[in-house]
Amino acid sequence: MKQTRVLLADDHTLIRAGLRLVIDQEPEFTVVGEASDGRQAVALADSLKPDIVVMDVGMPGLNGIEACRQIRDSMPDVQVVMLSMHSDEGYVLRALKAGARAYLLKDSAEADLTRAIRAASERKSFFSPAVGKVLLEDYMRTLQRTGAEDSYELLSPREREILQLVAEGKSSKEIAGLLNLSVHTVETHRARVMQKLNLRGIPELTLYAVRKGIIS
Amino acid sequence: MPLVRDQSNLAAADSDSLSPRLRWVLLGTFVALLALIFVSGAAATRTLREMHEQEQEARRAVASRAQTLSKLYVSIEVYNEDIGRYLGYPLERPDPLMRQQVDRLTSEIESQLDGYPDGRQPEEAALLKSIAELYRRHLALYRSAENAATSPGARGEILTLRTQLIDGSGEVNAWNGRQIQTNDETLLAQFSRLQASLTGSLSIALAGGLLLVVASMAYILRLERQTRSRYDELAQSRYELERLSSRLVDAQEEERRSISRELHDEVGQSLGALLVDLGRLSTNLPADTSEIHERIDHMKSLTERTVGTVRDIALLLRPSMLDDLGLVAALEWQGREVSRRSEMEVAVESANVSDELPDEYKICVYRLVQEALNNAVRHSRARNAKVRVAGSASAIEIEVRDDGRGFDPKRARGLGILGMEERVKRLGGSLAVDSAPGQGTVVKAELPLPVAAGTPA
Repeated sequence: MKQTRVLLADDHTLIRAGLRLVIDQEPEFTVVGEASDGRQAVALADSLKPDIVVMDVGMPGLNGIEACRQIRDSMPDVQVVMLSMHSDEGYVLRALKAGARAYLLKDSAEADLTRAIRAASERKSFFSPAVGKVLLEDYMRTLQRTGAEDSYELLSPREREILQLVAEGKSSKEIAGLLNLSVHTVETHRARVMQKLNLRGIPELTLYAVRKGIIS
Repeated sequence: MPLVRDQSNLAAADSDSLSPRLRWVLLGTFVALLALIFVSGAAATRTLREMHEQEQEARRAVASRAQTLSKLYVSIEVYNEDIGRYLGYPLERPDPLMRQQVDRLTSEIESQLDGYPDGRQPEEAALLKSIAELYRRHLALYRSAENAATSPGARGEILTLRTQLIDGSGEVNAWNGRQIQTNDETLLAQFSRLQASLTGSLSIALAGGLLLVVASMAYILRLERQTRSRYDELAQSRYELERLSSRLVDAQEEERRSISRELHDEVGQSLGALLVDLGRLSTNLPADTSEIHERIDHMKSLTERTVGTVRDIALLLRPSMLDDLGLVAALEWQGREVSRRSEMEVAVESANVSDELPDEYKICVYRLVQEALNNAVRHSRARNAKVRVAGSASAIEIEVRDDGRGFDPKRARGLGILGMEERVKRLGGSLAVDSAPGQGTVVKAELPLPVAAGTPA
């Protein structure tokens, strides 16, 4: 069985030790290195070529989001699981835009870490349940204030299906295979979803899906 | 520093006690100078008037003497002639007319000698006395010559006396002339005395005036110096105050940052590790120990709440999103935070805000918006607030607008606004609070950017 190689990046030794214990419990995961700041994380990712980097958002020097962006830019095969204290959409969206697959709150890291690593290694998205809850609350309040219609109601069942699959991290080709459609049709649906929901890019779409509770 | 201040205070106190005294001295000197000029002027005027009167008097005296003398002279001349003529006649045939004439002349001369003006000088008196003597002797001779048979000796004597008489009156006349000259000389001397005294007074006045000017100038210069040093002191203390308050802001920010870091690094880390451990513990426990599971779950939720509290405190002290995400994201986060926690919905708009802003600018904008939103939530009962941040090459503009009940900025100016002003001012910016009861509030600020940081990323 192929081992999933994990690099831990957090500026707190205690947290790293705790996370390491959690990861070591799973036989298919192995921790190959630890970094204490963003720069070191980028360097170790480059030399160790891990499958997954578990990265804290707030680190001295180079912060986690920037480090994630650099790793994803130079090594697209390395997946990043973001660890954060914040469930705010500013963090989530920026982490997604930087290329993170999963976004975990530190409060619940222990419970969700193995699920998040597993999802990320399968190139799927994963979010702490609390994140989705906060995002949804913010979204509902904005809707109430602006009096806007919930745009999700505008989507057809097929479009909702495609929205979920895209948000989970699947490519158009994979979706086409799953739904037995042509790649072109999937692309068309996807474009219509983006247009109806007024979203720009996959990160915003993923954020929207998390917010709506479509994925977690 | 306190030592120097004490000394300058001492100096100030010293000059404070000296100043009124000097003022009085200057005023006294000035009054004395005026009095001196006035008194010497009055004295000179009086002396001149006296001199004028004296001169008039002398002229009058000389004139009346001269008049009397000339009359006397004429009378004596006529008398002499008549006497001569009278004596020249043969004695046996005396001319009664001539006799009458001589008698009349005699009484005339006597009255003229009597009528000579009073106030004679001794010399003058002696001269007049000798004339009167000569005249009397002459008259006696003449009488005797007329009564007795006139001897040629007596006749000769009469003629001699006649000549002497004429000489005497001439002498009186000459004396009179001399008297005029003496008078003039006296006047001249008096006048030069007056001149000298006037010159003296003027010199004293001039010297006093000069002294006064010099003293006044010194006094004014000293006052000026004092004023300047006071002004310098004031400017210095104002500068120090500004520096102090700016240092206070810096120190506060630094303190917050360090407490926040401590909380985050120490407390947060320990709690986080505790959470991980607790989680591991509960997964590793056998399934049948439900009571222990419950206890562990309780501990976990307590720890989670504590983590949340610590995070909130740390964020309040130092918003880590400023470091993690940049200014705009931090402001948006703050807007959402306020919306979540209060009845007020906050919308955040931004344009051209550079991510490369220096830290103190980010903190300033962030704290400004934070304070303005806090004020709006606490005091204005606003339902909506709008934050607008716009950058340009040279400045960054911040506007926080709410639809609350407003206030009168002239009357209510709390510490919050002062704090905002302080932060903005120390970066060289300006702050304006525009509000009126029932009108909502607009807080506007403009921060000039340092040249290098102005370009939006």
